[in-house]
Amino acid sequence: MQTQTTDTIAYGVVYKKNLSQYHVHTNDQVILCSLSAKLWKDFEYSGGKGGRKKRVTNTRDKHMDPVAIGDRVRYQPAGDDTGMILEVLPRQNKLTRQSAKPMPGAHAFEQVIAANLDQVVPVFAAANPEPRWHMLDRYLVAAEHHRLPVRIAITKMDLIQNTPAESDLLEAVERYRRIGYPVTLTSSQQMMGLEELRDILLEKTSVLVGKSGVGKTSLLNAIEPGLGLRVQTVNQTTGKGRHTTTHLEMFPLAAGGAIIDTPGVREFGLIGLTPEDVAECFPEMRPFLGQCHFGHSCNHEEEPGCAIRQAVMDGAISPYRYKSYLRLKVDL
Amino acid sequence: MMRTYFDDFNADFTCKNCGRYVSARTAVSGVVNRNHCPYCLHSRHVDLFEAGDRLCACKGVMAPVGLTVKRSRDKYARGLQGELMLVHRCQTCGGLSINRIAADDDSIRILESLSQCPENLLEQSQIHEIQILTNADIALVESRLYGTQVLAA
Repeated sequence: MQTQTTDTIAYGVVYKKNLSQYHVHTNDQVILCSLSAKLWKDFEYSGGKGGRKKRVTNTRDKHMDPVAIGDRVRYQPAGDDTGMILEVLPRQNKLTRQSAKPMPGAHAFEQVIAANLDQVVPVFAAANPEPRWHMLDRYLVAAEHHRLPVRIAITKMDLIQNTPAESDLLEAVERYRRIGYPVTLTSSQQMMGLEELRDILLEKTSVLVGKSGVGKTSLLNAIEPGLGLRVQTVNQTTGKGRHTTTHLEMFPLAAGGAIIDTPGVREFGLIGLTPEDVAECFPEMRPFLGQCHFGHSCNHEEEPGCAIRQAVMDGAISPYRYKSYLRLKVDL
Repeated sequence: MMRTYFDDFNADFTCKNCGRYVSARTAVSGVVNRNHCPYCLHSRHVDLFEAGDRLCACKGVMAPVGLTVKRSRDKYARGLQGELMLVHRCQTCGGLSINRIAADDDSIRILESLSQCPENLLEQSQIHEIQILTNADIALVESRLYGTQVLAA
């Protein structure tokens, strides 16, 4: 991370935040920073459909945060390992999701998960909980929308070894590899695939995303043994994770690079995307866009002469991915 | 997931072939899975690997082209003992599928599909291991549609 310090103004990277305190890493130290009132006043966020910009106007909007993990910030040091963030430097990129709606019918807003990333690592468990490929497609579309490279990690491979579920999983994995997404099969118990994952994460800022209980933190513990982060088993009755990780935090890796651990999410809503944009976020569909009978006006659903549907029939696009595409468009 | 009244209501459709409104509600249609028009017996090509997967991108109109009987799981079953089924062929991609006959299907149309079986269907059905019924099986079809007691009367 490029950081520099002057007499009164310093620059750093936000590694962690909790209760309005931001842990800003500079060269060799961690500064606990608060947020300046001006930053709050000038903060605009996109809310609702169409990405209309809104300002924080009342206390209800205070759950919005102008600073995200990974942000490069300009701050004023107070001299005792504390300071005040004055400015968030322009982001190279960001990974966002639609916030949970406080009540039915309310407008959702954009929630920035992390900023200034080199890659996104969606984590899925081979079993317990079962992988949901439509959820993976949502992560992939979000990453493609923000032009972020993706590396998929499958955990808990030891649970399905030599079972019929293994061949089903490998078939699904092959589907994503054919599109061009690298997939790493791992097991923290058997120390499987960890070296490959370390190489992937080397000298890069990565974010681990996935639902609760898939083993994001266990994977991080296995990659970087010194961290000793808290993990739990999934609930045996419900088969769901226990939301053990409750805050976002970035960890520097000893070999170089950094990794952001995130709490598990139940839903991952897409924001800033229109139904017309979704096909662009499916890399295997891009070569066929504009080749339909109705050109770029085609919805790729019922129209005669649709090149995308023909490509699905010809085997160039997986029918599962096409179905996922249709579901995503309905949800937007 | 439990089916609800509203799920049934949302599955109603307008036939792509004859344009008639078809209710998929069990109370109205008498079947749980309404997958073709009861008036003209046409269907849509939406399933790919198994019934209900909705993975097929073709979405073409499927015409009734013949009749068959469902394979019996009974290893002691003899001859054509399975349930009478309708054979559909996609008018866009030529794919074949077999579907259950519903209680309110037009029986005259069903009998017509037996006699109007296309010639090349037999070759195609052999590839898909579907045994197509011919005019020689009309007695079997009538007994399945109307019952043996009705025919005897």
